[in-house]
This record gives sequence, structure tokens and C-alpha cells, in this order.
Amino acid sequence: MSKTVIRLAAGLFLAALVVFTTAGATDNLMPGKVDLKSAGALAFGPDGILFIGDSVAGSVMAVDTNDRTPARGATKIDVQGIDVKIAALVGVAPDQIMINDVKVNPVSKNAWLSASRGRGADAAPLIVRVDAAGAVTILPLDNVRHSSVSLTDAPVANPAARQNPRMMTITDMSYVNGNLMVAGLSNEEWSSALRSIPYPFQNAKEGATLQIWHSSHGRYETESPVRTFVPYSIAGKQYILAAYTCTPLVKIAVSDLKPGAKVKGVTIADLGSGNQPLDMIPYRKDGHDYILVANSSLGVVKLRADSLETYPAIDSPTTVDVAGVPYDKIGALKNVQQMAQLDAGDALILTGKPGTGPAWNRGAPVGPISLETIALP
Amino acid sequence: MTVGVLALLLIASLSAGAPAISIQLEGGVFKVAGWNAPSSAPARGWESVFAVYTGPADAPPLLGTYTVERATLQFHPRFPFAAGMRYRAIFRSSAGGAPIEKIFDGPPAATVAEARIESVYPSAPVLPSNILRLYVYFSAPMSRGEAAAHLHILDSKGKVLEGIFLPGEELWDPAGRRLTMTFDPGRIKRGLTSNQAMGPPIAEGKLYTLVIDRAWRDARGVPMTEGLRKTFRGGPAIRMPPDPKTWRIAPPQAGASGGLTIAFPEPMNYALLQRMIEVRGPRGVVPGTVSIGHDEMEWRFNPRDRWEAGSYRVVVDTAIEDLAGNHIGQPFDIDVFEHVTEHIATQTISLPFAITR
Repeated sequence: MSKTVIRLAAGLFLAALVVFTTAGATDNLMPGKVDLKSAGALAFGPDGILFIGDSVAGSVMAVDTNDRTPARGATKIDVQGIDVKIAALVGVAPDQIMINDVKVNPVSKNAWLSASRGRGADAAPLIVRVDAAGAVTILPLDNVRHSSVSLTDAPVANPAARQNPRMMTITDMSYVNGNLMVAGLSNEEWSSALRSIPYPFQNAKEGATLQIWHSSHGRYETESPVRTFVPYSIAGKQYILAAYTCTPLVKIAVSDLKPGAKVKGVTIADLGSGNQPLDMIPYRKDGHDYILVANSSLGVVKLRADSLETYPAIDSPTTVDVAGVPYDKIGALKNVQQMAQLDAGDALILTGKPGTGPAWNRGAPVGPISLETIALP
Repeated sequence: MTVGVLALLLIASLSAGAPAISIQLEGGVFKVAGWNAPSSAPARGWESVFAVYTGPADAPPLLGTYTVERATLQFHPRFPFAAGMRYRAIFRSSAGGAPIEKIFDGPPAATVAEARIESVYPSAPVLPSNILRLYVYFSAPMSRGEAAAHLHILDSKGKVLEGIFLPGEELWDPAGRRLTMTFDPGRIKRGLTSNQAMGPPIAEGKLYTLVIDRAWRDARGVPMTEGLRKTFRGGPAIRMPPDPKTWRIAPPQAGASGGLTIAFPEPMNYALLQRMIEVRGPRGVVPGTVSIGHDEMEWRFNPRDRWEAGSYRVVVDTAIEDLAGNHIGQPFDIDVFEHVTEHIATQTISLPFAITR
């Protein structure tokens, strides 16, 4: 009985907390035309707010999707040839549609995609919604409540120079504890900070920029851009699981992510050479913890993630960095380009035919592209 | 029977002098002429009466908005016409009858090849075995997503090297004219599985060829005028960060309009040389233009105005990199045992020089 009361009280407290934190989440958004130059990485914030990474503009846009009707029961989304459908809506050939990211609105369970109409620099950004009925709609951007934050530093010193070629490609974003975390890769310098920007947006400079390092054998340290990451709780402590461009998977305690900090990730797995993790989904099934990882070359693997807290920090030269969280290859999932968690037991995957590159680097899968629901393995 | 009735109705309407319904395209707007459109949309929307398609039969119609002007129904597509597309406009009268369909062609697709590769950096014939990045400059905006299929490095026997670049990563400038390719950092960073299993991407002393296929399409979808083959040899790894103490600054004379040059003992990252070095003088930042030469071992600065006598300094961002991603005060992978370098915490360093009469 008393347990129930405590649970109920805790539940009410949580509910109050949710109401408190989400009230006003859209208040700072102003209606008008959303001036997106490109649409890449996506993340959902509170109250149906969609964050859109605009690498070309060097900014992140928060838009009110108005997609706040909770899903009724289990959702299953299956759209074959989604590239063909999007292409038909916007009047181009399907090979001119590039789907850049897929995320699920945790409230409505609708899928939201970012895409480009065209493959050149003048490609138009598209924000696409797919509902459980398979209806594909494109968010009109001419009058939407929105706000943005710039990620770029001061303007280029020489304004007469032709268009600044420097660009940070936003590779992943996630909303963690009131902050939008943004990972990116520069097309010029190697070092790229992981940024943590408080939401509602004020000024990106007020957010923390973190130097993320990677250590191998406790001996060689490299400043390493984070390619993809996901919030994760290990033994009650909040972490992000991050994949570097140089393959290892690491855990970083969120409490370490302080402004200006030099943070070293603790390697939990090295998925091997010539590979780049693309998306990660942590989940729990039958009393065990797993992390599903989609990779550029290795395919989809399932890490057995029980007791991740027992993996020690690399702080001595004798520590080997191939900590080796065991993993299983999920051979049934092929040519997965994007992956997003739909609910506790299901995920959405975006798949196509193998790309046209050589076997070790096929490139992005080609059409027809399908968006489908799978049970988490 | 039904067909007969329809035919009779059609003949009746024609004989009554009603104008024939036709679909027209004017100024990017599709119009239904000869049909007296009601002022408000039918229950199932205007789309149920008139729609324009570019996709297969089961695909949705084009997005756009409808207006009725002088009883003429008009459809305004949301996106501009795309080259090479065929538009199928279909009118389905709410009064029944066979749909009226008309095909329109969008602007013709470009066919004449124009794009070519302007330059590739680093330009030196010997590249370090731990080379981190490669820049390819195109003469025109290119299609994204084609590097995996069209950019390769061959060994001396002509075999395509596997696992040499970061898979699936193309980094472009906003204009789509410069591609940055990143060599797999897992093979460069010492101690990692990739580095131990496969070694660095380039081996010292070996001969390689960078190949970029002509088939790479530009942003219009047309292949290039020609491809590129560039041969280079693998050199030793660069582990020491760039040290400005070893740079030679050659200042001009006062009153001269000539350039200032800085010579580096090793090639530097071409893109970063463009924006990470500036000259400051008695009046602040000296305006002028930068050019890079001598296989990125020389930085040349031509001032807009003649040099004045006085104290100057070259200000360098410590993030400037050499070809292996080492930057001032910090190698790409720091060996924490050997402590080969002091750690420099400042963001810029200054190299003073004077212009004398």
C-alpha cells in the first residue's frame, strides 16, 4: 500500500515536473516564414518542437510542428518507395530526393524526415511528416512558429571574399535535460566542439562547447569529433553514448559536460575498421539492455549493454581500449540508412538498395527507399 | 448503353455551343479553360477535380495551391518546374465524363558537359602517410552523394584501395564546389584497432593515383567534361606540430606595393591557410589578398595599399593545421608519454616584423 502511495506521489511529481518544464516551450517561437537553407539532422524537444540542423546557414531552427495529439495505441508506419512519393509531391525525379534524417515525435509517434529536393547546392530543404496511415505530407514553411540560433562565430574578416567555403555539417542532435546537444564536422579544421545550447534559444555562445577527446591504450590522445550520440542512463546516472568518426563507441557522463571542459570518453566498444556508426537506439528487452547500432559498412549490430557501468575508465597505459562490449550482427537488416526508436519495442528504419560505391564504401543506399517498422531485435 | 448516353450528351453539349474544356499552362500556372468553375471548392477539395502529376500512377499529385479567377480554376505548384520533368495535368469534371488529360514538358534537361575539376589539394607530389584531408575544387556546383562511387585511390598496380576514406562522409562547401574528403582517422590515430590491423592509409615510399571519374554528375545531372588522375608518392608520417619559429617571413620595403611572403618548412592545409593568417600593422588589420603557392609551403600577401614604415605582426590562429591534422602546439595524436611538445593554450600567436625605409 505504502509503496503504491509513494509510486503515485512520484508519478504526480513527475507529471508536475513535465508540465512545469514544457509549459512555455513554444512561447518564444514567432510566427513567420522559416528561412531554412538546408535541412539535416533532426531532434525532438518538448511539446512537439522539432529542431532542424541547417548546416548551410550554420544554425539550428526550432519549429512548432503542432503535432501534439498523442498516438492512440501502437503505431506502425510502413511506406514503400517514400522517395518516389516525396518526389511526386515536389515534382522531381526520385533520385533527386535525398533523405537526410528520420526522427519520431515521441508524443504523436509520427515520423518526421528531413530531405533535400535536388542534389546540388540550390537544393530546397523539405520537412516531411509520415503518419501511421502512411500519409506523406510536407510541412509548409511559409508561416510556422519558429526560432533559431546561430552556431557560427563572427562573420568572415574579409567580406569581399567569395562565399565563405567553411561549413560545419551538423551530424547529430539530441535534446538532453533542457539543452540541445549538437555534434558536427567541419569541412576545414579537424577539431569540432560538441555544443550544448540551452533551449529556449538565446545565444549559442552561452552554451557549453566541449572538446571531446579520445584516448587509445591510455597513450595517444586525439581530439575527436563526435559523429552520432544518444542520451543514455547507466545505473541511474545520465550519460551520452557517442560514436567518434574514428570508430570507437564511448560513454561520457553528462555531469562532465561543463563549459570549456576537455572531456575524455570512456571506450566501451570498437566496432572495427573502415566503419562509421550512423544511428543508435538504446532499449530494454526481456530484462536486458541493448544498443542497436546502424553502421556505414558493418550493417546493424546489437550491443549487449547490461552492466555498462562496470566498464572501467581508461586511465592507465595498461588499459586496453578494445573493451569489447559483446555484440551480435543483425543480418536481416540490410542497407539501413537511418534508424529511430518508435516505442519501447519497435523502431523505424529507412532502407534502400546498396549504393553504387565499392563494397567497402557503398555510399548511401539508392531508391526505392522504404520507411518501415521493425520489432527491436 | 452508358457509353452511348455519354456520347449523346457530349454531342448535345458541343452542338449547344459550349466551349470545349482544355488545360493550359501559362507562366508556371496550370489553368482549366472552358469550364465554369464554382467559387468554392467541392467537398473533396479542388484536387478531386484538377491535379497535376509527375510521378507514377499511384503517387500523389504535385503540391500547390488553387485559385479561381474569372471562373477559371488555376493550380499554382509550390515548387518551381524541374528540368527534364513531364507534367500530367488531369481534369475530372464533377459532372462525370471522361477525364481530360494534357501533358506538358518542363524545361529541357541540360545535356552539355561543363563541370571539370579545377584543382586538388594537397598539391605536393609526396604526401605524408598520415594525411588527413583532401580538397577537390570543381568549376561548377556538383551533385552530392557521388564520392563513394567516383573518387578512388589506386595502388601502384592499379587496384582500388579499400577502407581508405571515412565511409559515407562527404563534406561540401555551401556552394557545392569544394569537396573535403577525410581519410579514415581510425587508421591514422595510433593505437586504434583500425590503425593496428590495416596500418596508415598511405605507405611511405609507395606510388598511388588519385582517380576521379568523369561520370560524376554536376548539380544539373550532367557528367563532367573530363575526369582526373593525379599520381603521388607516400612520404613519412608527420608527428610534430607546425612550429612558427621555423617559418621564414620575408617583409617588403616601405613604400613598396609588393607582397609579404611566409615560407613554411612543410606543406600546410590549403583551406586553413586562406583564413587563419592575417597581417596587423600600425592601423590594425592590413587589407589585402592572400595567395598560396609552392605546394602550400608559401603564403603570399599582397596589401591593397602600399606598405607604411612601422611595426607589424603576422597573427596566426593556433588551429592552423598541416597535412596530417597537427596544429600549432598540438599534434593530431598526442603521445602522453613522450611529451614531445609543450601545450599551447593561446588561440593565436604573433610573429613580429618591421617595414623599414
